[in-house]
Amino acid sequence: MQVVEIQGFNARCEAKGVERTVSLFMLQEENIVVGDYVMIHVGYAIQKMTHQEAQSTWELFDEVLAAESPHA
Amino acid sequence: MSFSAKQWLTKIHDLPLPPKVRIMNVCGGHERSITMAGLRAALPSNIELIPGPGCPVCVCPEEDVYAAIQLALEEKVTLVAFGDMLRVPVNVSKQAVRSLEQAKAVGADIRPIASPLEALEIAQRADKSQIVFFVTGFETTTAPVAALLAQGIPDNLLILLSGRLTWPIVDQLLATGQAQFDALIAPGHVATIMGSQEWAFVVEKYHMPTAVAGFTSESLLAAMYSVLRQLIEKKCFLDNCYPQVVNEQGNLTAQRFLQQTMQTVDANWRGIGIVKQSGFQLQNSQQDAKLQLTDYSKVARQRMGTMPAGCDCAKVVLGNIYPNQCCLYGKSCTPRSPIGPCMVSDEGACRIWWSGGVHNDE
Ligand code: SF4
Repeated sequence: MQVVEIQGFNARCEAKGVERTVSLFMLQEENIVVGDYVMIHVGYAIQKMTHQEAQSTWELFDEVLAAESPHA
Repeated sequence: MSFSAKQWLTKIHDLPLPPKVRIMNVCGGHERSITMAGLRAALPSNIELIPGPGCPVCVCPEEDVYAAIQLALEEKVTLVAFGDMLRVPVNVSKQAVRSLEQAKAVGADIRPIASPLEALEIAQRADKSQIVFFVTGFETTTAPVAALLAQGIPDNLLILLSGRLTWPIVDQLLATGQAQFDALIAPGHVATIMGSQEWAFVVEKYHMPTAVAGFTSESLLAAMYSVLRQLIEKKCFLDNCYPQVVNEQGNLTAQRFLQQTMQTVDANWRGIGIVKQSGFQLQNSQQDAKLQLTDYSKVARQRMGTMPAGCDCAKVVLGNIYPNQCCLYGKSCTPRSPIGPCMVSDEGACRIWWSGGVHNDE
């Protein structure tokens, strides 16, 4: 969900038109600002979300190998 | 670069797969995504996806559920619990109260909640009357409870703690050969809290391909592709296919709350027995319902601790059989009238398979 407002340890978050108040207590050492996306579980934000898509390390290996290959 | 689910499937179909590969997942959320997206049918037929120990409700000690029921009935406390605990049956005679839901029906004050914060709210509003929060869950759910405790709870709120850790049961499965599988999909939400590094032992100690996955088809397929290729190229490592929220360290604040408020102890898993260092226990005995009130979990009863008669949940949880190999599956046991906890919980493999449309024993 996306953080739309922060008040102390509470944040109002929104996803697909649904709004909820969640606790930021478990992310108090992170710098969470309005606009960030957070992963929520049982009413608590448990991690800030990055933009990294699902991937496997093999793609990186393959890219490196392809770059090293003289025929690439 | 990122691939679509379809592209991942093509990549998997293009791999030179061995005749049979068994991949275990240990998360009800994974099993749900796999079943609902129909991934089993879309994958090459030599890949078997085995649902493993991914359901905390299913392995919550029967004695603890019994204790929760008795606290509500006998001690007249207000008992709050996560919703899917309410229908979990205990082994008592047919006439006796068999679940929290039945206890509620005969007048006990039992309230389903979805967040530890609701337990706090109920306790604050209850003034002085006694509230007991029956906590079940793996690390992802226990950590927010630890956060609640770290933030401070009122004196009238006690905790009946049945939280469990996931990695010790996987370690036990691998050490004893209790389950047969060739690769592991590690749980994304647990790793979000505890860090992907917690799963490195599977690679280091057991030389088994492992990948952390999230809950989209893309992430699950990326993880499957990774472990399959690790197997084929004989190059094991811990892959993280859920970088959106998972990193090596996990949420250090959450881990600190867990350490401050709880310790890990050997703990009982319903129908399975003691698993080393797999349970959470409260540091502060003043908050522990088992120590502050009568401990009904110790009351001797017939069939205490076991699964309901005829229910194969323990084997399902350990990945020894598929849900539809239990002879009660879909016959006397359905989500409408569940016999075992695996048909009660949203994270139980039996319920997931049944709602996913597995209605015969193919
Ligand atoms: S089908 Fe029902 S009785 Fe059989 S293992 Fe699953 S929950 Fe237990």
